[in-house]
Amino acid sequence: MTEVLITMKELTKTYKSGNDEVQALRGVSLDINRGESVAVMGQSGSGKSTLLSIIGGLNPPSSGRIEIDGIDLYALSQEKRADFRREYLGFVFQQFQLIPYLTAQENVMLPLTTTGYSGRKKREMAEKVLCRVGLAGKMNRLPSQLSGGEQERVAIARAIVNEPPLVLADEPTGSLDSRTGEEIMELFTGLNREGLTVVMVTHNPENTRYMDRTILMQDGRLADNSADVLKLRTAGKRC
Amino acid sequence: MTIYSIALSNLKRRKIKALFLAVGLAVGVATVVALFSIVQAMRLELGDRIDEFGANIVIVPRWEGMELTYAGTHVSGITFDIQRLTEEDLARIDTIADRNSVNIISPKLVGAVVADGRRALLVGVDTRREFTMKRWFTLREQAGLASGQKPGDLALLEIPEDQVLLGSAASRALGRKAGDTVVMGEREFTVFGVLNETGSQEDGLIFANLAVTQELLGRSGEFSLIELSAYCNFCPVEEIVAQLNAAIPGGRTTALRQAALLREETIDSFSSLGFALSGVVLAVAALAVLTTMLASVHERTREIGIFRAVGFRRAHVSAIIVLEAILVSIPAGLAGFLAGGLTAQLAGPYLAQMQVAVPWQGGLLVPSMVLSSGLAAAAAAYPALKAARLDPVEALRFI
Repeated sequence: MTEVLITMKELTKTYKSGNDEVQALRGVSLDINRGESVAVMGQSGSGKSTLLSIIGGLNPPSSGRIEIDGIDLYALSQEKRADFRREYLGFVFQQFQLIPYLTAQENVMLPLTTTGYSGRKKREMAEKVLCRVGLAGKMNRLPSQLSGGEQERVAIARAIVNEPPLVLADEPTGSLDSRTGEEIMELFTGLNREGLTVVMVTHNPENTRYMDRTILMQDGRLADNSADVLKLRTAGKRC
Repeated sequence: MTIYSIALSNLKRRKIKALFLAVGLAVGVATVVALFSIVQAMRLELGDRIDEFGANIVIVPRWEGMELTYAGTHVSGITFDIQRLTEEDLARIDTIADRNSVNIISPKLVGAVVADGRRALLVGVDTRREFTMKRWFTLREQAGLASGQKPGDLALLEIPEDQVLLGSAASRALGRKAGDTVVMGEREFTVFGVLNETGSQEDGLIFANLAVTQELLGRSGEFSLIELSAYCNFCPVEEIVAQLNAAIPGGRTTALRQAALLREETIDSFSSLGFALSGVVLAVAALAVLTTMLASVHERTREIGIFRAVGFRRAHVSAIIVLEAILVSIPAGLAGFLAGGLTAQLAGPYLAQMQVAVPWQGGLLVPSMVLSSGLAAAAAAYPALKAARLDPVEALRFI
């Protein structure tokens, strides 16, 4: 029996740009199940990154409601939402977004910084996930000493080190060559098989083949189950 | 991985900025330490100098007095029960608890004499003590000097028993100059020298040896007053006065309040100047920290967004910024302490025109560190607040 992890109801988001108002989201309602992998596609400005930031507890919607694991996310205070992110979410950002002066292991330990774990426990947890993403021998390297694919793996390791139920990824393969991109998508697939829920914003239709479901966004709305979406999905899953 | 290690790692990466920050703080602390050390040395030196130069305590014989209207006539200045100050009272001064704080004791006897047929006031003093205490008395002319030779320092000259010093007005009134003779009470005295004019009543006095004066006035072993100069940087004058009043029942001891006030005012002026200068330099140092930290926060916007996204609370982000400032401030405080102490020692005597060396103020080490850390933390508070308030969505350019 499938269990809903994320429930979004009539989410809207309006930004002010000078005297103008930009409607980034126009009433998005969506459920995502636990253990599901969902690709969010759409043109630039369609609202997919805004949706991801709202799911990530970083960007309060103008109206509507979002619950993750039964928790009304924006009913929480800012500081409680920070705690929520630490325990429930892992982020994989565009361009990896690693801290340049921290080693791979230290970058991975970042979400554990404010936990009560001992230093030894933190190091062990970081080592474990770095091994999981295939970077066992490069833990003490700075981001500048790693390739793009390796940096992406570090970013993924950082997202999963605190064993969250949900990982949000924003264009994780956008700055990688196709072969490395495929390796990264296979890594996501593996994590998803282990029970992790993945929501990924992507421009690359190829990536949708690795996901359970693809959502198309258009002008701040979810597109109907259009032929485009179906077409994308017919490519089928490879793994 | 802790907040501390993140702050430390960032400082290691941005060495030049950390150095700039440290230099700003060190200059601020060094200035305060240097000024404080110099002002402190000035306090000691000035206090000692004033205390050495002038009497700040005087003992006069105890007497009772009253005013009376008798048969419609007002009679003032009726004195009775007049005590005398003697050699025994000098010995009693040595018994007080704060004797070590008393620098110079100068007893004197004042009396009227007939000098060359004119009435004059004679003061018997121990000349070396008296003129060490009263440095404003200087010789205008001195007997026996070769042409072009300048009169000596009164505090260092030994004046023979058969010689006297004349105040400028007394010299004029008697028509005597250095090397002349003056007859007082059938004894002939040579004028050792004539004093420069001071503009006070003291210009009309004749100064002679204390024992000779006691003999001339027929008051052997007796004094009119005893003046004392006390080092009072660390001793309360009032306390010494109380001890002397208790020790010398026949005397009435009073503090010369004016001298004490003058000393305090002068030192306070120096201190105020030092504090004002320190305040300005610290404000500049704080501004340097503030602008550097603000620039750092601006540069690290995206990084702060990542911290917030991975679960850092606002307080954690603020703590990183403040901690960085404090980590820099510790070596800066130490460097500032050393540089300030060294500056005070090397430049202090020239800046303050002092004749004594500025002592090394080891006790300022901890306050220097506290000042440096406090200043850094205070100046970093606004940048830390700004960092904590950064919108993570803006910071990560999610939109």
